[in-house]
Amino acid sequence: MSDAMSRPGTLVGQRVLRVNDGKLLTGAGTFVDDLHLPGTLHAVVLRSPIAHGRLVAFDAAEALTMPGVVDVLAPEEARDATRPLRCVWLMPGQGQVDYPVVPRVVRHVGQALGVLLATSVAAAEDGAERVRMEFEELPCVVDVEAALGDAAPQLDPGCPGNVAVDLPRGDPPDAVEAAIARADHVVAMRFAIQRLAGSPLEARGVVASWSPATGELTMWSSTQVPHHARDHLAGALGLALDRVRVVAPDVGGGFGPKDHLYADEVLVCLAAMRARVPVKWIEDRREAFTATVHGREQIHEARLAFDDDGRFVALHSDVLADLGAHPSNVGAGPAFVATGMLEGPYRFDSSGGRVRGVLTNKTPAGAYRGFGMQQAAWVRERLVDEAARTLGADPAELRRRNMIRADELPYTTHTHQNYDSGDYAAALERATELVGEGLPAAPDDGRRRGVGLCSYVEFTGLGPSAVQEIVGFALGGYETAVVRVEPDGRATVLTGVSPHGQGLETSLAQLAADALGLPITDVRVVHGDTATAPYSAAGTIASRSMTVGGGAVVRAAGRLRVKILDLAGHLLEAAPGDLEIIQGVVQVRGSPTAAVPLRTVAEKAWLAWGLPPGMAPGLEEKDLHDPQDISYSYATHAAAVAVDLATGRIEIERYVVVHDCGVIVNPMIVDGQTHGGVAQGIGNALLETLVYDDVGQPRIATFHDYVLPGTGEVPDMVVEHTQTPSPFIPGGMKGMGEGGTIAPAAAIGNALANAVPEIAHLVTETPMTPARVWGWLDAAGVATDW
Amino acid sequence: MSAEHLHDLTLTVNGVPHPVSVPARRLLSDALRHDIGLTGTHVGCEHGVCGCCTVLLDGQPVRSCLMFAVSARGHEITTVEGLAGPGGELNAVQRAFQECHGLQCGFCTPGFLMTVTALLAENPSPTEDEVVEGISGNLCRCTGYQNIVASVHRAAALMTDGAGEPRP
Repeated sequence: MSDAMSRPGTLVGQRVLRVNDGKLLTGAGTFVDDLHLPGTLHAVVLRSPIAHGRLVAFDAAEALTMPGVVDVLAPEEARDATRPLRCVWLMPGQGQVDYPVVPRVVRHVGQALGVLLATSVAAAEDGAERVRMEFEELPCVVDVEAALGDAAPQLDPGCPGNVAVDLPRGDPPDAVEAAIARADHVVAMRFAIQRLAGSPLEARGVVASWSPATGELTMWSSTQVPHHARDHLAGALGLALDRVRVVAPDVGGGFGPKDHLYADEVLVCLAAMRARVPVKWIEDRREAFTATVHGREQIHEARLAFDDDGRFVALHSDVLADLGAHPSNVGAGPAFVATGMLEGPYRFDSSGGRVRGVLTNKTPAGAYRGFGMQQAAWVRERLVDEAARTLGADPAELRRRNMIRADELPYTTHTHQNYDSGDYAAALERATELVGEGLPAAPDDGRRRGVGLCSYVEFTGLGPSAVQEIVGFALGGYETAVVRVEPDGRATVLTGVSPHGQGLETSLAQLAADALGLPITDVRVVHGDTATAPYSAAGTIASRSMTVGGGAVVRAAGRLRVKILDLAGHLLEAAPGDLEIIQGVVQVRGSPTAAVPLRTVAEKAWLAWGLPPGMAPGLEEKDLHDPQDISYSYATHAAAVAVDLATGRIEIERYVVVHDCGVIVNPMIVDGQTHGGVAQGIGNALLETLVYDDVGQPRIATFHDYVLPGTGEVPDMVVEHTQTPSPFIPGGMKGMGEGGTIAPAAAIGNALANAVPEIAHLVTETPMTPARVWGWLDAAGVATDW
Repeated sequence: MSAEHLHDLTLTVNGVPHPVSVPARRLLSDALRHDIGLTGTHVGCEHGVCGCCTVLLDGQPVRSCLMFAVSARGHEITTVEGLAGPGGELNAVQRAFQECHGLQCGFCTPGFLMTVTALLAENPSPTEDEVVEGISGNLCRCTGYQNIVASVHRAAALMTDGAGEPRP
């Protein structure tokens, strides 16, 4: 630890090592499958093997004779004992607003139908093979455009034509059309973004324990959102909220899919209540590919209209979002955000879109890091490069001339985003500069080389609650922090946000330590247990933990500091304004001999003897922070690629990120989040995809064929930051957990089109695998022989 | 149907003999985690791709999810719990991962630590390419690998001369 790190008041902005690494580095972390409660039974979730059909027979008699099998929770029993799960983000007119824990008609392979309990995982899996389920199969539809056709099977009576959501975005359609008609040029392209799996390396899992004596259910869950999960679990099982406790132990990554309660998790809890012993269910990887929500899949019919002089006139996208079998907790939310953030950092006379959320017989689509903003960036930034090609303009120059200038902020877009602060063009400038630096002279290896840019603005810090209400997202947008100086002078921070890799145990502690004048080692962050954590409606999603949750810590710790100084001033007979706290000692500024240890102040406060008149006992402050407004981070990414014309393989030779997320609390953590986000973006760009056959069977269900980026696919990247404080967040932070994932596909796609302009019009789909790129090269007649 | 036949054997893990009684199909990963209670070895895919379950078998990295517990009889197994010193002090590889922020959620970390331990035992000062190649069999979904690669170089430096600065 450097000197700066042990010196209080100077921790924000420091590369403070993470306080929770020790347990994770020694195998002492406690992930949900590491919990061993006495008498635990092991669950296998019984799932639909078909994509669409009515369950007509269920027979567990033979399974129940198998060694170790204890109980089978049948579909009818589960249906009778549960209430449907509510969709959390409801769009106006949404045709399906909840979904049953166990359906009568299954709509996707992997849909949960029941639970089998046994004394070991192996016995449970053996038993599950003997459960007989018969289905009356129904025709299914897996393609989102086919689902709109007259002949398509209809999945939900509330969604005629399989359309669950249909709503306009931005300016009125005739205004957008009129603007497009006025422009000198229009680039129109159809973009397809693939279906992805968030794939935290720890899949989901639950340990459920029911106490008949107290009527209390405890669920340990690999979740991002303990309170949210608790609320929905109590609702599904008809339990009082105070009888349900959810604990997120160490959680092995989330990335969005662990942002809500799943039907299978309800079933496992129900099985534990019936068995009256603890039940453990750990999702295996194959299961995760069909049981955990997918992300991303959208089709955009998009147009960018611009004038001869390069001025952007209008932007429009007609979006088809493949929602899968039913609207997930967030439903068409990612498409809503994709259209909401489509304008990016540029000015337009008019902009708008249409969002249709369409049902298909695939796993429901939900949250995945980036949440629509990756699609927005892909669509807009590809259009911008094709506009530059049309005009013969430099792509960087075209961006620059249309970018909202720093002196134009705050700026309201056509979809009512109130961009707050920053200098978008500065990030573009710097990224353009950096990508050329250090790039090796291109060897004459027959490959084509190109550079691509992607500039974006990112919606972060989900809140304020009033905005959530306007858009129908039934999650309070606030966060709460309780900051306490304990009688021994050390501090505890209770937070409602629930870290699972983001390092909030450290960065929230940095905020509190600075306010309280304590070293980082004297501050402990407590989180993840609904029995102890303050209520958090939304949890750790949507790049909001440091902004909304951190803002609460800043305010609570700030108020606590005032009280500490008041009490210390009373004890020292000094004016509170003359005091400072250094290393846990309150002293008169410039006169260290007039001092009292924080520990003594805390002892007095908690003993409540000799307090100044009117001062309440204790040293604890609580702050409920509902942010004043949204914070907008932004960046420009630049990629330099080499394209093999014989194989279609894209190699990233240099990758640059110039990013602004407001005040940086811990640059080490911020860079790490950016690296990881870019890596996921590279997976999105080049590797990952989920494919179904025409009867709705997944063709990809292992890491053998779902290719996550490895060391060989992720280049070293250059990450630089500027820091424009958020005007709305105490502490000035803006969100940054998702940012890295947003831009890589567009930057790499633009680099590919720059390298091989003959295929530029074809670069519309991801992932840009060698096979797909080779197809484009071949179609354009530029593929070469081996 | 009768219960499964159990095999009594002793697994030597981190130098300590552990008698276990397991069916023939018990995976080494499950035996370590659930029979012996060493839950630091994680299971991410159970099909040998992610590398979270990597342990050392006589010093060589293996996927414990692709090996039966009974096959490990007579071999020296090293898991993540065996890396720190007797007083719990982090060893060079563990320290390097902390200093270089080579972990985020920590789920894949034990597998990386074991792979890197074996890599550096075989090649104490690997080149950049050798590091990238050496850890290419492990997946991390959080870090983007850049800081893991830095961690390996840092660990190599710590192990050879106890000095060296982490890369920014």
